[in-house]
Amino acid sequence: MNRLLVVFISFLVLAFHLSAQAQTENETQHQGHSSTGKLQDTNILPPPPANLPDWFNNKKKNHIFYKRGKYNYDTYNIKRLAYDLNAVAVGHAMAYEDMVTGKAVGLDTKTFDRINWVLNNPPKFMPDEANISPTFGRKYGVLELVFDWTHILHAQTVDVLASTDFTEEEKDNEIKALWKFYFESVPYAISPLPMNMAYLDGQPYSGAFRTKYPKVNGLFWGYHWLQGAMYDALLNKTLQQQIDVYEVFGDRYHAIELYRTDRSFMPMFAETSPRFSEKYPYIANAFDNLHMLHDMVNDILASDWIPEPEKEKQILKAIWIVSAEAHKGETPGDVKEEVGMHDHRFMLGMPGMGFMKYGTEDVMFMDNMGWMSMADCHHCSMPLAEGKDAWRAPTVSAEGWTMRTRCALCARDMAAETKGAVIIHLPTENPLKPAVVISDEMGNMTTDSPEIIFLENEKSHRSCDRWSLTFSSLKAFQNYVAANPEFKNAQPVSFEDWSGLRGKKPDTYVKPVGPEGNPYDIQPEEISMENE
Amino acid sequence: MIPDRLLLPYLWLTLFLVVLPQFVQGVDHNNIDSGRPLSFDDAEAVALRERSIEVGLGGISPYGSSAGMTLDAGFLYGFALNSHLMLDADAVAGGRAGSLDKGFQIEGIKFGIFHNFNREFGNTPAFSVLTGLDLPTEDGSNGVAIHFRGIASKVLFQYDRIHLNLDGIVKTDAENFERGFLPRLILGYSKPLGYPRSFFRTGVAELSMRSTELKGTGPVMSFGIGLRQQVTVRSVIDIGISSDFWAIDQAPHEDFKLIAGYSVSF
Repeated sequence: MNRLLVVFISFLVLAFHLSAQAQTENETQHQGHSSTGKLQDTNILPPPPANLPDWFNNKKKNHIFYKRGKYNYDTYNIKRLAYDLNAVAVGHAMAYEDMVTGKAVGLDTKTFDRINWVLNNPPKFMPDEANISPTFGRKYGVLELVFDWTHILHAQTVDVLASTDFTEEEKDNEIKALWKFYFESVPYAISPLPMNMAYLDGQPYSGAFRTKYPKVNGLFWGYHWLQGAMYDALLNKTLQQQIDVYEVFGDRYHAIELYRTDRSFMPMFAETSPRFSEKYPYIANAFDNLHMLHDMVNDILASDWIPEPEKEKQILKAIWIVSAEAHKGETPGDVKEEVGMHDHRFMLGMPGMGFMKYGTEDVMFMDNMGWMSMADCHHCSMPLAEGKDAWRAPTVSAEGWTMRTRCALCARDMAAETKGAVIIHLPTENPLKPAVVISDEMGNMTTDSPEIIFLENEKSHRSCDRWSLTFSSLKAFQNYVAANPEFKNAQPVSFEDWSGLRGKKPDTYVKPVGPEGNPYDIQPEEISMENE
Repeated sequence: MIPDRLLLPYLWLTLFLVVLPQFVQGVDHNNIDSGRPLSFDDAEAVALRERSIEVGLGGISPYGSSAGMTLDAGFLYGFALNSHLMLDADAVAGGRAGSLDKGFQIEGIKFGIFHNFNREFGNTPAFSVLTGLDLPTEDGSNGVAIHFRGIASKVLFQYDRIHLNLDGIVKTDAENFERGFLPRLILGYSKPLGYPRSFFRTGVAELSMRSTELKGTGPVMSFGIGLRQQVTVRSVIDIGISSDFWAIDQAPHEDFKLIAGYSVSF
């Protein structure tokens, strides 16, 4: 018996030894790969603060179960969206695993093909990312912890929006409760403050990933687009509206957004879900900061000139920069240093987005749109509803962006001026009954609420939010007209008639311009040549 | 008609099959707990505030006896970060190893606490311990057994993991012909199957060596293989087969054991 035990134990020791050896070889390979890149002075990399909080040294799993609720997993009510989100998790994990196991050289070819297959054949359940990227997790466990915890907030907020068991008010309360759960349960929550994107994307390593691996970077930014766009696609909509809207969004995601390599910056929440970002700015900011953390980590890992131990430090620093703990006591709008870590300014009219590169308080640059203001209607330049009336602004989703407008006419005409399928979200007098209009590629409009009635008594756009409105019924229209005698002669307009109308060019329109000397005002041909 | 001795297991199984689908939400195919389907644990605790129910039904072919069946049910609860409580009950009916009994019997109720000290990082394995009490339920049995399990989980290549389990059971009231201390060593292995196109299946295998209760017999070596398959967002089914392929000096053992189980967290 003793001999048997000795044989058995020696077998176990050998197995553990082989395991350690295999792993060391794996990591040595990776380090060898990293050291072949161009050399730059690593002194330009500011180190992380000397006294990082204890959780940066965490060596535990610290898994926390999601917040229980009757909405758990309701994202599966919109199956296509749920499956696409499952595939996103796989895509992130596969890329990270390949980057830390010496396979980065094939990222834009083999890895891209592998991820692309999964994106087109999405898993039916959400896989555990840690299972797909075990080497990455062993190496960057704290980062994995931060990612996982914020991804749970992502998943649960979408579950709430997709729930059919909650009223809109209950959804609002639960989203706030989820934020509290996220923010107060752990010390490693992401900052809810708007942050300066020029600073976050202005690190010595910034841009390395998108330059080196444009196709996989395109996928990552495509995920970020989906993870942003889905919020306005679901907010204040019935399940059927959500399903219908996601058919349009899902088609665009798979046909275009995943494969774009011409974006000038990562898609931001407020560019894709302005209603959600205005209503829950702290969540939109946290998600933008999370997505920037992804970008910063990608850039660090793709920077061959940074030695391996320094990469680990820089990743810790990137986590610190976007962590809530680093910004304790600071509030939105604070600016200790312009274009620095503690610059929390946001654009007028949009508390859910930090300053963009070259942006000012008044304008920012958006791909396919040019310079625009977040506080004004992009169609008529008049100020948008804000505060408790913010829900009254219609939105137009097209070409990958979602913009708020001031009135229904602005939304319809803006949709008509845009290529491809368009979704128009039209609030009525009842906040709980918005109408959704989908315009196909030929401009044919359909709605799930054909009973809606419009007021369209075109005048100057200075007051378009009074003369161009949507009502849930004829009675609601009549009530409005009775309360506003200036429209006593106005005729109700049916959806069918309204969809065929076109307004005049708004008399108030002013084309926003960017700050002098900004690089976006280079001719598009020059930008595309630079990208190539 | 169902024989009297199988009535209770039948009712138990029916209850679980009826009740469990309502909880269909939990667990992960790649996190392995003892009995699901083999005897080793990985070093991962359930999440804080996670609740999990695990049940299994097995058929056994004991050495020197007729076939029997086993039923086990467990409840796990993450009561603190990286720690969970475990309550487990095992029952057997028909033939069983080392006994002439054939009737239905609850073999034991176990209460344990699992704690994970660290996740795997660098070259350091994830370490956990499971410790607790086995309460006697068999006729004529006295005292309790204190059990201890040390667990180390470590990656072997990229996705394969090995799990070393070292067990010690101390019986507080062992008879003269019984051993008071029962050691066991298990080497478990797990590997996700289907990557990079499928993400919901894990293959498991184990090789173990254990001491037996009867003085003058043993040890026993076992081998088992199994599969865990995610079937809903948070539930997993498992199936496994094992054999005590080497038993010294007529040690009580099972020639074969086939087990199928279901786990769900909520």
